[in-house]
Amino acid sequence: MLKTSKESSVNDRKPRVLVAMSGGVDSSVAAALLVEQGYEVIGATMQVWDYSADTCDIEEGHGTCCSSTDVDDARAVCDVLDIPFYVINCEEKFESFVIDDFVDSYLQGKTPIPCVNCNTYLKFDHLFQKMKELNCDYVATGHYAQIVETGNGPQIVSSEDSWKDQTYFLFTLKPELLKHILFPVGHLRKPALRQMAEEYGLPVARKKDSVGICFIGNKGHKNFIEERVPKEQLHPGRLLRYPTGEILGSHEGFHQFTIGQRKGLGVATGEPIYVVKIDPSSGDVWLGDEEHLYGESLKIARTNWLDSIQEGEQYRVKIRFQHKGALALVKKVDEKEVELQFVEPQRAITKGQAAVFYKGSQLMGGGWIL
Amino acid sequence: MGAFQDRGSRAYFDHNATTPVDSEVLALLSTWGQVFGNPSSIHSDGRGPKALLRQARKSVAKFLNADPLEIVFTSGGSESNNMVLQGIFNWIQTGQGWNGKTTSKRNQLIISAVEHPSILKTAEFLKRRGVQVDVVPVNRQGQLDEEVYENLLSENTALVSIMYANNESGCIFPIKDLAKKAHEVGAFFHTDAVQSLGKSMVDVKDWGVDFASFSGHKFYALKGVGVTFVKKRTSLESHIFGGGQERGRRAGTENLLSIASLGHRCEGFQQEMELEALQNLRDQFEQKVKTEIQGVSIIGADSLRVPNTSNLILQGVDGETLLMNLDVEGFSVSTGAACSAGSPEPSPALLAMGYSREEAQSSLRVSFGRGNTLEEMEDFVGVLKLTVQRLRQLKQEGHSLHA
Repeated sequence: MLKTSKESSVNDRKPRVLVAMSGGVDSSVAAALLVEQGYEVIGATMQVWDYSADTCDIEEGHGTCCSSTDVDDARAVCDVLDIPFYVINCEEKFESFVIDDFVDSYLQGKTPIPCVNCNTYLKFDHLFQKMKELNCDYVATGHYAQIVETGNGPQIVSSEDSWKDQTYFLFTLKPELLKHILFPVGHLRKPALRQMAEEYGLPVARKKDSVGICFIGNKGHKNFIEERVPKEQLHPGRLLRYPTGEILGSHEGFHQFTIGQRKGLGVATGEPIYVVKIDPSSGDVWLGDEEHLYGESLKIARTNWLDSIQEGEQYRVKIRFQHKGALALVKKVDEKEVELQFVEPQRAITKGQAAVFYKGSQLMGGGWIL
Repeated sequence: MGAFQDRGSRAYFDHNATTPVDSEVLALLSTWGQVFGNPSSIHSDGRGPKALLRQARKSVAKFLNADPLEIVFTSGGSESNNMVLQGIFNWIQTGQGWNGKTTSKRNQLIISAVEHPSILKTAEFLKRRGVQVDVVPVNRQGQLDEEVYENLLSENTALVSIMYANNESGCIFPIKDLAKKAHEVGAFFHTDAVQSLGKSMVDVKDWGVDFASFSGHKFYALKGVGVTFVKKRTSLESHIFGGGQERGRRAGTENLLSIASLGHRCEGFQQEMELEALQNLRDQFEQKVKTEIQGVSIIGADSLRVPNTSNLILQGVDGETLLMNLDVEGFSVSTGAACSAGSPEPSPALLAMGYSREEAQSSLRVSFGRGNTLEEMEDFVGVLKLTVQRLRQLKQEGHSLHA
């Protein structure tokens, strides 16, 4: 006879979790841990990009997150764990919220972080809706981040593995969502996590970590953008020596440059030279010395706060994912913008990246660098 | 696998996708498996398998009301469909003529708008090879536009291929009548009858068709066996060249276990009894759904349908989300769109029938089979009702984190 849990009418059922599974080892161990902890676990891979198209010439063994063999890997892990697994198609949303924004950013002379938008609009929005629709209580991911209970409600703190810490990508999360989010591997370090994957018998235990941007593959962002954008919409211009204005050459579009870039500039000056400024209005790209890369202050907009920040206070602020974080003083806070001043000048403050605030290990929130 | 109930407590309502293997078949597999020889061998070890093959061919032929010589074993319905469509046009295009003539102006293929992909994509392929392909529309009730069909038929028509019953709606097409009209203009008639076995009285002579495709795994036999009925005195170009198996019409050493399993099923099937039980269950299900759940319509409710299929359109509910919820609760059903994993595209068949994308995305296909019980069905309706209510409620609340 059927022993179904009779849908939501029964309240004493086990808490149910929807786990976002990329097919990588982190989210696989996350799912395994949740099963062990007694949750009812549903695995889901968000199909965000059609990797079957020839847009992705990944070499064998260099798969990045979500390519189609990754879907099979996630499914194989769920088979081992004996839990349901579904593919959730989000290609349209990914295209409009992640890809389009990524391309537009470069066309505006910025350097975008697509992973933040993927978290904002896909994992912690679209998947959140799926969580509700599948009658789940939580969404879990394999992020290296932790949620701790404080006097001020649940808060995100950095992962145990500071090398892997991914809280930078989570600054846009709405605080009210935190009570529905689980980060089951945030307390682990990568080697220990791999060890657990072996012990659970997960088929992805020795799979390589994904690196870089999942939809770019090996081709680089320049080629990706040029495949999608007609040539006349690119912005060619001059390459100018900073600060003299000497013309060093020309380029076919500033989308190929990012602040601090040294290689592939197409000019030979005999000394190290870096992109220090991109001027989207004229199309000019300024090349300068290492020292010209440093700045002391920045402004951010489109902010999101998980806990409140105060004018006149100092925070540790990360200005890119790999940045260690630097002390900065909050000069001015209003609804739209926040202005801050670093204690020490910082290298390559880049438009389109995020400034993310920490108090100790607590993620306070942040905003997009203007 | 894949839900919080152990397998024993799950209910399977997706028999149009595939069926569980019959228990007698399972029990006989080891016996058949010992007959290992190659049926084409001259030595004694070839005798057993040859006899098994002969017996299966005889049983299948009898069940379909055909002659054993008219039975070609294939790997399944898709191969049978490919075999007939490609075989006919290869035969014409290689100048083997028509009714003994060496040339033929017949270059038209007529299909319905709701055929299986193995017909639709083969037709696309033939189109690229210069064949004129015409498609007969099907309405929201699942009925073929016979007026258009008759107007399309001409002396240029080489082949008509129209399915016996649609896998998604369950609607049955008037094959007998359609075949007769095709014959009036001298064309061949093929039917993809994959959804007929175990769901309808099958009689290829009565249908009057020249070719028909069947599949074993939709009929509680093993996967990997299909049948092409090829009426006597019709010719097809072989689509797999090799040894002389299947009288030269389909080369390759026979898939003996699967073939034997299909033969066995054809021997043991209590046609009338099982069809009646299915119809009862389906009708009670639909009655219950209509009384207990608001905003539901049943595709082809007033049309002639196979007795096991019910395709519901549940207003305001995403079929795929519904399917996942039902799976977690222990019920296997389908959205009708069994395309590539995660494909957001709604069922092409329902779109072809004139349903909007939204309607098609709200569809849920329930296909019953032997072994399904009244109790399972009632439990299912209970869970379906609660899930639909919850999903509609969520939709009403809206979702506006980042509006």
